[in-house]
Amino acid sequence: MSALIGVEGIEVAYGDIAVVRGVSLEVREGEAVAVIGPNGAGKTTLFKTIAGMLKPRAGKILYQGARIDGLRHYEIVKRGVIYVPAERELFPQMTVLENLELGAYTNYKSRWERLKFVLGLFPRLAERRRQMAGTLSGGEQQMVAVGRGLMAKPRILLLDEPSTGLAPLFVSELYRQLSRLKGEGLTILLAEQQVPHALSFTERAYVLENGGIRLFGKSGDLLGDPEIQRSYLGMA
Amino acid sequence: MIAILVDGIVQGLQLSLMAVGITLIYGLGGVLNLAHGQFAVVGGIATALFVEAGVNPLAACALGILSAGVFGFVVDRTLLLPAYRSAGEERLLLGLLITLGLSFVVNGFLDYKYPNISLTLKLATPSFNVAGITVRTASVVAAAIAIVAFVLLFAFLKGTLLGKVIRSIIQNEVGAGLCGINPGRIRTLIVTLSAMMAGLGGVVQGLFSSLGTEMGNELTSFALIVAVVGGVRSINGTLAAGVLLGIVNAFASYFVGAYLTLIILLGTAVFTILLRPAGLFAYRT
Amino acid sequence: MNKDRYLADYVTLLLVAVVLALVPLGVGDSAHYLRIVTLMLITIAYAVAFNIIFGHTRQLFLCIGALAGSSAYLSVVLAIKTGLSPWATIPLGIVSAALLGGAFSYVSVRRGLGVIFVGIVTLVFSLIFHNLVLGLRELTNGETGIETKGLGAAVLQSGRGSYYVILAFLMACLVLYHLLMRSRAGTAFRAIADDEFAAELAGIDVTFYKVLAASIGSALLGAAGAIYAFYSGFISPTEYALVSVDIVVLVTLLLGGMGTLLGPVLGGVVFTVLDEIVRPLGRLNVLVYGVLMIVLVITFRQGLVAALRKIVKVRIP
Repeated sequence: MSALIGVEGIEVAYGDIAVVRGVSLEVREGEAVAVIGPNGAGKTTLFKTIAGMLKPRAGKILYQGARIDGLRHYEIVKRGVIYVPAERELFPQMTVLENLELGAYTNYKSRWERLKFVLGLFPRLAERRRQMAGTLSGGEQQMVAVGRGLMAKPRILLLDEPSTGLAPLFVSELYRQLSRLKGEGLTILLAEQQVPHALSFTERAYVLENGGIRLFGKSGDLLGDPEIQRSYLGMA
Repeated sequence: MIAILVDGIVQGLQLSLMAVGITLIYGLGGVLNLAHGQFAVVGGIATALFVEAGVNPLAACALGILSAGVFGFVVDRTLLLPAYRSAGEERLLLGLLITLGLSFVVNGFLDYKYPNISLTLKLATPSFNVAGITVRTASVVAAAIAIVAFVLLFAFLKGTLLGKVIRSIIQNEVGAGLCGINPGRIRTLIVTLSAMMAGLGGVVQGLFSSLGTEMGNELTSFALIVAVVGGVRSINGTLAAGVLLGIVNAFASYFVGAYLTLIILLGTAVFTILLRPAGLFAYRT
Repeated sequence: MNKDRYLADYVTLLLVAVVLALVPLGVGDSAHYLRIVTLMLITIAYAVAFNIIFGHTRQLFLCIGALAGSSAYLSVVLAIKTGLSPWATIPLGIVSAALLGGAFSYVSVRRGLGVIFVGIVTLVFSLIFHNLVLGLRELTNGETGIETKGLGAAVLQSGRGSYYVILAFLMACLVLYHLLMRSRAGTAFRAIADDEFAAELAGIDVTFYKVLAASIGSALLGAAGAIYAFYSGFISPTEYALVSVDIVVLVTLLLGGMGTLLGPVLGGVVFTVLDEIVRPLGRLNVLVYGVLMIVLVITFRQGLVAALRKIVKVRIP
């Protein structure tokens, strides 16, 4: 399995302050990889940089071997790297259907089959398809956000804290569907604060703290690591 | 009374026609176009010039509106580029100053070259009777044109992919980017479209009363008031606000006189801004 | 230490005073040119005021002419109707302008309304002012205007003498500006212009200082506008229109350099020269100014003072 996404020693700064320093990671095709870490560790910054919304001031980002760190974010979307931010960024005065439809902008011809697929994954959305996205509950909005991302036929999905603000029932539902997608070959890079879910869902994980990678390895190993257990799993 | 109401609605529709362009350009490009009235004047004066040159009036109107569109296109691709390269408040300020400068350029040029030209379109039947009320044909035609334009606009925005893309950028530019949408190209299209709508507004003004070269700033001001009251990001709001303010304008003019009416209009606008800064019909996030 | 710090400012003020005082001698006997240079002084005063409002606190007031004009009309009409001396009515004009400008600022800042709202509200106010003057015909004589000769303030209507009186007024404005900028308010202005949010976090009362800047600036506009009306011997709405005042001030300040002491002066002088060059074009001058404004905003926004600072490594205030 080759690296689909390769991040090599990137440094991202806001003004003069470096928020991400010397971070390297890779995601191979078909893998599910997690990035865990506390609030403010730089997970979102990392994801935004991969997605092209921020520019690293050092290092490179490779996709299928080619550099993408200079491209505009909408060009990166065309290549199949789809970012679903924690803030969701939906279109509040457009219906669920319209939100999803726009997700297929880069692959517009195949939108109907994608729509059938996505609505099949999230039947709740099918029920609410003519409802304004702004009036949905938090969990439903998250589903729309993920669904919209899926509409673009992603090669890799960057999910930033998908479980934020969701009731546990929704979280389980979401991860159930993500497992299905993973089973069908979707590559996933996941940033999460809900560590147990993240580690059980993924094969490998990176621990990001203070803008740098502190640990990485197989998710199973990390679950068993006493330090991780202490810091993130609330076990003494 | 009904006559005044009708008049108000018709005027309001014209105002909305102008204001929609401002809403679109601001919603899509983050630029408040202080030269918008000048787009209308360019459209109107171009029409007048074509008519003078002997072109059939209907064709002249079409050409005039097209001229306004071309003008808008050129402005977007040249003058506004520095603004688009910046972001946020910097872009706002730059956009304001550049378009303000542009309004002076157009104003100065037209004032100098065509100081006496104005566009007045006369219709064959100046008025007719409906249920005992004398209705000006011009009002009906103006209203019809505005309504058709709006219907087309809404159909475009709701029904076509491009229309949805435009709405998406206005509602959430970040979200649109996540879908792979490049706002830059769409912007140019919107500016051109808005300029043509303003041009249409100018031509309709010529139908209704008359359009002179000095009216640029006044038209811009009215359009701004309507756009701000309706919510600078909401197209429905702009339509509603335009009709509302048109009615207020008509009644106030009748009872109080033209000059004080302006103060009332501004007062209404300021009042609305204070109550609901995002506009009467803006979506509350 | 403090004395050294402001030495450049004092020297500049002195130089400006001396140079401007010598200008009438260069002009000779020409009443026409004397009028032009006196107008230059008024323009510079307007620019100083706008510098405080926009250059230092980023409030884009698009009603410079209207504020100046409202004060002017108030002073003139009051003087006519009540027989009071202009020296009594001008302060009233100043106060009214300050109140208006302060109100625009307060409303905008309080409601967190950004640049666009300030711009829109003030632009519409310009329109309102113009229409009010035309509408209240009995008071203002509409488009034709009113003669202000013989209402008093004779010292403002005596050719060379009035130049020096107005120069004194301008110097007062500049000194006021200097004192303002070196006070706590000045520090606050700089912080606000730099990053308003950060200033708020640092504990600066942004609302108070913005309204202060707007009020002081508007007061100066009112003063200059009223003084001009009595000097000119004549008042009419076109003297205070957007194309007469606002664009001139914008170009002047952009040219000279915002946020500086010398900016308005340099800008005013250069602009006046330009104005003379462009005079034969007649009404096309507005177009030239529009083009100039666009070019300046895009390419030369820092202005002459900033450019000079780079060439002459001396501190130019």
